[in-house]
Amino acid sequence: MTGIRNWVVENHDLAFAILLAVIVYGYFGLTNEYFATHRTTFAIMERFAVLGLVGLALTLCIIAGEIDLSIGSNAALAAVIAVRFTDGLGAVTAILIAVSIATAIGIIQGYFIAYLRVRAIVLTVGTLMLLRGVALFAAQEKTVMLTDFRVPDFITTKFFGYFSPASILVIAMFVLVGLFMNYTRYGREIYAIGGARKEALAAGVDLKRPMIIVFAISGFCAGLGGVIIGLRSGTAQALGLQYLLLAGTVAAFIGGVSILGGKGGVVGAAIGTLTVNFLNTGLVFNVTPAFMVQLYLGVLLMIVIMFQTGSRIFDRKQRRRQILGDVDARRGPLLARRTAAARRAPP
Amino acid sequence: MTGGMIGGARDAATGYVDRLVRDYSALVVCLIALFLIVFIAGMVTAPNFLTLFNFKTIIRDAALVGIMAVGLTFVTLSGNFFLLSMKETAALCIICFATSMSAGYGFEISFLLTMLIALVAGAAQGALIGLGGNPIVVTLGAAGLLFGLGSWWSDNLVVSFRRPHGAEWLGTGSFLGLPNITIAFILIAVSAELVLRYTKFGRQVYLIGANRAAGRATGHENFPMAIKVCMIASVCSAFVAIAFSAQVSSAHVNYFSSEFGSSGDMTIMVIATVMVGGNSIMGGFGSTLRSSLGAIFISTVDNMMVLHGFNSGPRVLAVGLMIVFSIIVFALVRRGARAQE
Repeated sequence: MTGIRNWVVENHDLAFAILLAVIVYGYFGLTNEYFATHRTTFAIMERFAVLGLVGLALTLCIIAGEIDLSIGSNAALAAVIAVRFTDGLGAVTAILIAVSIATAIGIIQGYFIAYLRVRAIVLTVGTLMLLRGVALFAAQEKTVMLTDFRVPDFITTKFFGYFSPASILVIAMFVLVGLFMNYTRYGREIYAIGGARKEALAAGVDLKRPMIIVFAISGFCAGLGGVIIGLRSGTAQALGLQYLLLAGTVAAFIGGVSILGGKGGVVGAAIGTLTVNFLNTGLVFNVTPAFMVQLYLGVLLMIVIMFQTGSRIFDRKQRRRQILGDVDARRGPLLARRTAAARRAPP
Repeated sequence: MTGGMIGGARDAATGYVDRLVRDYSALVVCLIALFLIVFIAGMVTAPNFLTLFNFKTIIRDAALVGIMAVGLTFVTLSGNFFLLSMKETAALCIICFATSMSAGYGFEISFLLTMLIALVAGAAQGALIGLGGNPIVVTLGAAGLLFGLGSWWSDNLVVSFRRPHGAEWLGTGSFLGLPNITIAFILIAVSAELVLRYTKFGRQVYLIGANRAAGRATGHENFPMAIKVCMIASVCSAFVAIAFSAQVSSAHVNYFSSEFGSSGDMTIMVIATVMVGGNSIMGGFGSTLRSSLGAIFISTVDNMMVLHGFNSGPRVLAVGLMIVFSIIVFALVRRGARAQE
């Protein structure tokens, strides 16, 4: 029992995320009889396949103290490329091309951010527009479509009741990235440049390497997510998928990252994404229009931000009070000693 | 006297080019030169480009994005990056304005109501940013919230009002041959520039943007500043929403999304305008004049590409290239300045 309590105290962000996920799931499970069923679980896992990737990518970026705004455009570009080339070149080649282009874009972004020493938001807001243009170019300003629907069929085959090839791939990806972040030096470097960049640079971390790794993973995740969405539905639009940024950011923040960087992890990303998925799916079950989902996500993000900002202000005040208290505690005896000495030895 | 002045000017010009090449690497200079060549060639070869009518069209196209960009410049200059909710504020405001107009409240009351909503939205975001929330994340959340509210209010339908209405002078009227929107753009740009240069508030914006610690030390906190600049930006978006709604006599939340104009969505266009104008995204350096010129510049390039018969893909690509280009040039220039110190 004390073990559990210690764990909760140590990982209160994660505990909060789990609590939130359970509450959301419980609410929809109790109010809607179709929610807590095997089929719905499969549907939630299907959503998890895409949003999980985006949430993972944004979690890594925010851990490194940056944010990748171009993630939606990158995903849309990958979706367009994959859908357009699947008919001609076969699914495997098309997927490889799309994902490697997305990863290459990520690497280039990471390199430029580290080389130019600009903030990622500055560069990625530019690439957001640029990649949208490229995607429009690649799609020739039309909605591209598949003609052969064996690929979407394969992607949505059921395994073990709950899983499809896509969601198994994504879970594997989560495990790999989690191991990488926790047990390799490169992963720890990413935490270091997020939490204390100046100190990390002073200690000899090269900014380029972690930045390129973060944005490469981000590009890879965006590309894979775009490919999964595109090939699953058989269509892709150059200007689509912009909602991924909001949903992914909400997932990352529920998962316990801090905008100051250096905090959070892969488990949090998974739980945050699941919470967003529960909310999304539940709202769909309750016949809520699509725009309301955006409203709820916006509200959720604002609440999390207010919570974080409030706790930061509270921490700062607490620390200040502590310092002032310390000063008072030390000054009291000092003054007493001085007055006593003055009384003992009159001038 | 005149000869000396010209000689001096020439010396200054060559000195400037020399310094440019020395500080900012030959690559940047070559890129700028290449761009200028393409730009001038395009201008000369495009049919009907160099006419007065086309010039007026360019400024008119620049007006809506330009007004928003002028508002956003305040936020950027004060070191609060940018608001990702410009388009969504406009979406909520356009719904408010059109609903109020179709209910028969008249122009003045609708205008004031819309502005009130914009002020509240801006103040709320500004307060969260001022308390220490990250501007990008706060406004990303606010964007979802405002857009959702707008859709919910209008039921995701088009709200329209009848043609003879009190707002027509703003939407389609003109004065001395210039459309009123253009005149509004010029007035807003000039007054914003004056405010930034000559008032205490304007200087405070620069101070807090350039050095937040120094600002705090001298008693200029970011909290009231963030609220004020966010309110200015929101009011500018509300004004754009009203002008656009007056022009088309209707409203829908998607008017400012990807369907608007030619190049992607409005928020990104506005941010692009601020960046292409050459304002420092980290704050403290730039002016609203630069943003206005950036709007006219983007509109000129867009106009030229339309006249050459390009589709939307290459045009969005061109704007994206311009942003990335300006970021790279700006970062290199800053590095050069630092290296010299």
